[in-house]
Amino acid sequence: VRYSPTLVDHFLNPRNAGLMREPDSVGENEYEGCGDLTRFFLRVRDGRAVEIRFQTYGCGPTIAAASMASELYRGRLVGDLCRLEAGEIERALEGLPDDRKHAADIAAGALRAAAFQYQARRG
Amino acid sequence: MESKLMSRRVYLDHNASTPVHPEVLAEMLPYFAEVYGNPSSIHAFGREAREGMDLARERVASFLKVSSQEIVFTSGGTESDNFAVKGLAWARGKGHLITSQVEHHAVIRACRALEAQGFDLTCVGVDEFGMVDPDAVRRAIRPDTVAISIMHANSEVGTIQPIEAIGRIAREHGIPFHVDAVQTFGKLPLDVNALGIDALSFSAHKLYGPKGVAGLFIRKGSKMVAVQHGGEHERRRRAGTENVAGIVGLGKAVEIRARDMHTEAERVTALRDRLWDGVRSRVPEVRLSGHPGHRLPGTASFLFRHVESESVVLGLDLKGIGVSAGSACTSGNVEPSHVLVAMGVPLEWAMGAVRCSLGRSTSAADIDYVIECVEPLVRKLRQAMPVGVV
Repeated sequence: VRYSPTLVDHFLNPRNAGLMREPDSVGENEYEGCGDLTRFFLRVRDGRAVEIRFQTYGCGPTIAAASMASELYRGRLVGDLCRLEAGEIERALEGLPDDRKHAADIAAGALRAAAFQYQARRG
Repeated sequence: MESKLMSRRVYLDHNASTPVHPEVLAEMLPYFAEVYGNPSSIHAFGREAREGMDLARERVASFLKVSSQEIVFTSGGTESDNFAVKGLAWARGKGHLITSQVEHHAVIRACRALEAQGFDLTCVGVDEFGMVDPDAVRRAIRPDTVAISIMHANSEVGTIQPIEAIGRIAREHGIPFHVDAVQTFGKLPLDVNALGIDALSFSAHKLYGPKGVAGLFIRKGSKMVAVQHGGEHERRRRAGTENVAGIVGLGKAVEIRARDMHTEAERVTALRDRLWDGVRSRVPEVRLSGHPGHRLPGTASFLFRHVESESVVLGLDLKGIGVSAGSACTSGNVEPSHVLVAMGVPLEWAMGAVRCSLGRSTSAADIDYVIECVEPLVRKLRQAMPVGVV
């Protein structure tokens, strides 16, 4: 297997996968080229993302990256989420092969989009 | 890590490659260190090597019911296909070629290369089952058509093409007919005379022979030029010292397949049907691609709607099961299979294409294990899926 044990674990047992009822914000990111898509739902309390759920269509690393991001950023300030970088997700997954780097980009873009939407709604 | 996760291993990718049969390996072994002469040398060392190669050529020829002089050994199916298509085209200098949209890349890209050199090319389409209509081939024929190349069976979906009808049409028009039989050689009976075939590609590693050795049948009298130049090997049709051990292995593999082919075809057909019945009874929204009747005995290609094929392949890999994805993701670019695109399979199904190809080691217990693993995997992947995104 060319993926780390952590990545494989998140692929086989994705955390926080599925729809969220009445989320405070939703963000999506589709990766041009492969059509992989990830959508994050945020529940925000006191400016923090207290619950993060996701849905994704994509290869194993894409699923694992979304799952990892949903754990990594839970409890963080929405303002921090607006600035999150794909590299953090990749490091948490213990690396991605060169031809699968986009998996972390998709998750990062979708989660940032959800954070931006929350902030835009709040004005 | 693999040992912790994998309690058992099931190989269902025999259309990609097969393990070398023990009898094949045994026959090959002396040709590495004991019988090592160059078969072109006239001394005893060379003659011994040539004898092994001659026997292999006889075995292949007898399987195809042709003369051994009509068999040329090559380095692989891709070389055989390139040799056939370019050799036939270049011998005529210019003109028009006919192939299909579902050929292996070795044929399609060889034809495209010829197109870039000034040849005209028609790629006939296929129906929803991946089958070429012989009348479409007939309609594509022009006065300057110099070759027709249609595969015997498709590796991805398993559909067997009506090559007998196409061969008849080619013969009526006096056009040379090449058949890429890499997926059927040693799996289905092949009578190149009855089928009107002038050139036929086959490969050893799809029939329990070694990798890196293959062959091309070229009907005697066919107007054809060499593609690889050098010495006088293979009756000046393919230069380069022959892969003697590999050729010996190919010959043995063919002999074994001639013996076992029919019983093996029945056995893997039953297992393939068991796999399909098991999967479709447990997994919703799955289809079998390819022709329901005219298909390779051991090939079952599934289309899982709203699932990405590579995630299925990875999930099964983690269970010790080797299958192949119908769509390939390379550096973030997903290409749905050109075969499924030609068949008009909608993207939401084509992106979830997974091929299982069975072989001589496949058991009923293996199939039941695969069925057991597929259902929870696909269910889990779909749970994380936003419905209707593709």
